Amino acid sequence: MSDERPAPARGAGEASGAGAGPAGGGSPIPDEIRRANVAHWDEWTRIHETSAFYDVEGFKAGATSLWPLELEELGPHVGEGTTLLHLQCHFGLDTLSWARRGAAVTGVDLSDEAIGLARRLADEVGLSGRATFIASDVYEVDAHLDDQRFDVVFVSWGAIEWIPDLGRWAAIIAKFLRPGGIFYMAEIHPVAYALDETEDHNVRLAFRYLPAPDEPDRSDYDGSYADRAAHVENRVCYGWAHGMGEILTALAGAGLRLEYLHEFPFCVAPFFDWMEADEQRWHWLPDGHGGRRADLPFSYSVMARTPAVEAGHA
Amino acid sequence: MLEQYLKTNLAWWDEAVGVHQGTDLYDVDGFRRGADSLTAIERDELSPLVAEGTTLLHLQCHVGLDTLSWARRGATVTGVDFSGKAVEAARRLADEVGLSERAHFVQSNVYDLPGVLDQQFDIVFSSWGVLIWLDDLKRWADVVAGFVRPGGVFYLAEFHPVVFLLDDEEHAGELRLTYPYFQGREPLRFDEPGSYADPQAAMQASVTYEWQHGFGEIITPLLQRGLRLDHLHEFPSTRGLTQPFLETSADGWQRVKGGRTDIPLSFSLKMTKEAP
Repeated sequence: MSDERPAPARGAGEASGAGAGPAGGGSPIPDEIRRANVAHWDEWTRIHETSAFYDVEGFKAGATSLWPLELEELGPHVGEGTTLLHLQCHFGLDTLSWARRGAAVTGVDLSDEAIGLARRLADEVGLSGRATFIASDVYEVDAHLDDQRFDVVFVSWGAIEWIPDLGRWAAIIAKFLRPGGIFYMAEIHPVAYALDETEDHNVRLAFRYLPAPDEPDRSDYDGSYADRAAHVENRVCYGWAHGMGEILTALAGAGLRLEYLHEFPFCVAPFFDWMEADEQRWHWLPDGHGGRRADLPFSYSVMARTPAVEAGHA
Repeated sequence: MLEQYLKTNLAWWDEAVGVHQGTDLYDVDGFRRGADSLTAIERDELSPLVAEGTTLLHLQCHVGLDTLSWARRGATVTGVDFSGKAVEAARRLADEVGLSERAHFVQSNVYDLPGVLDQQFDIVFSSWGVLIWLDDLKRWADVVAGFVRPGGVFYLAEFHPVVFLLDDEEHAGELRLTYPYFQGREPLRFDEPGSYADPQAAMQASVTYEWQHGFGEIITPLLQRGLRLDHLHEFPSTRGLTQPFLETSADGWQRVKGGRTDIPLSFSLKMTKEAP
């Protein structure tokens, strides 16, 4: 064996707790990338508003946009008066679905279009009294929240692929949770992001799994996960791969106590056209014999808490 | 059935003890001359916690090379393996290198260890190819958490779950995912000649039963038993595997062919037991 330890795959900001504080300067998202992603998401917002995937009319009529997973796992912790911060909330359907269950919610998103739509929807469904929406880079949310602390910080489905530095992200989560508060995330699995399809409808490891903070992944394709046929002008966007180790270690490094990591063989949207939806809208890999493959991870959920008494105040 | 699986695996491991003595991977002669059997991963990450008198329990220790490498650093070590042959070899080796005073070896299945050993340790250590031999990680976590003293550490260096998903036969070149991440209680059955440490070795035993485990299945039971996550590190390199999509780099680590460093091949997990 070599005496040289291979470099562990680390995201930016994980190497030490120091310097990873939420007040550590501006956003690590380069300006050019931020501009491209905002334009991309502004346009996607207009497409998503009328998509069957988001079903805004159904939401207005009273349906929840939350998936059975977060309803089952986080639902019991959200009641009348629970304060909830939703990071990367897109146009606020999930944020407002938590508000309908009694929570006082704050949604944050990078896209002005998304935040504008979220505010209009809050008005329309009569929830603007308990819903605040902020257009902000997640790394700069400090500037808008002052000394507020929340019972719950919530993140879900295709959020962290848009941010480079999970160390600073986790520090922000820890900062805005009250002592004993809950962080909950339901997300797409790192293994799923690394998959491509084979001609015979199997899957292979084709894309990056381990993080590379300085190597954003550039995409340039038409349509959206919510509407494959939509035409998009602002096609170029950038994301970052995050491994499970990077994600969990960032949370632990920020002082959060992990309670569980649950993994699931289905996802909210089809990674491949030939994936099949069940009656709950979860998408599965078919097994080629009329059944479903339940052997590969496509999503996961994490729950973590801040210590009940803040360090140094005991 | 479980009893039959474990019996079959024990026969394989009893025979592997003799085969592994002469292999490059284990390099027992080098160890006798003073070489370290630990990889740079566990050496860098765990060594700072190991000092004169540190008590360390090594689960699934095989022939005890790593156990004794920790003893050479001053630790008082207890190695546990389900193979009587492995435990005998470990004791002989401890004698030979003059470490038997501070190295104790116990023959036991991991699950049965609480009935055999009544003590808590500063460190519980396990490494490289241990989890695939365990059918029930909740029972394993019971044992791990029970043997770490409050404030003590559990450390695991292991093959990444992703490695064991990848096809090792006709579709290996395209990194196709053939094996399950979520497996359940029914093991995979393999029937292959030789050992990972010497594929050419003539062995009577060839059948093994192995269980795949995902990160949630590995980590969550430990969290629920009072161990707090310190880190989960993932590495694009590994050691001691025979999959055809791997090649050995000049630095001795195995990596995915084609210079890919974006695929995880191993991980290290460090957890601390909450003080009461």
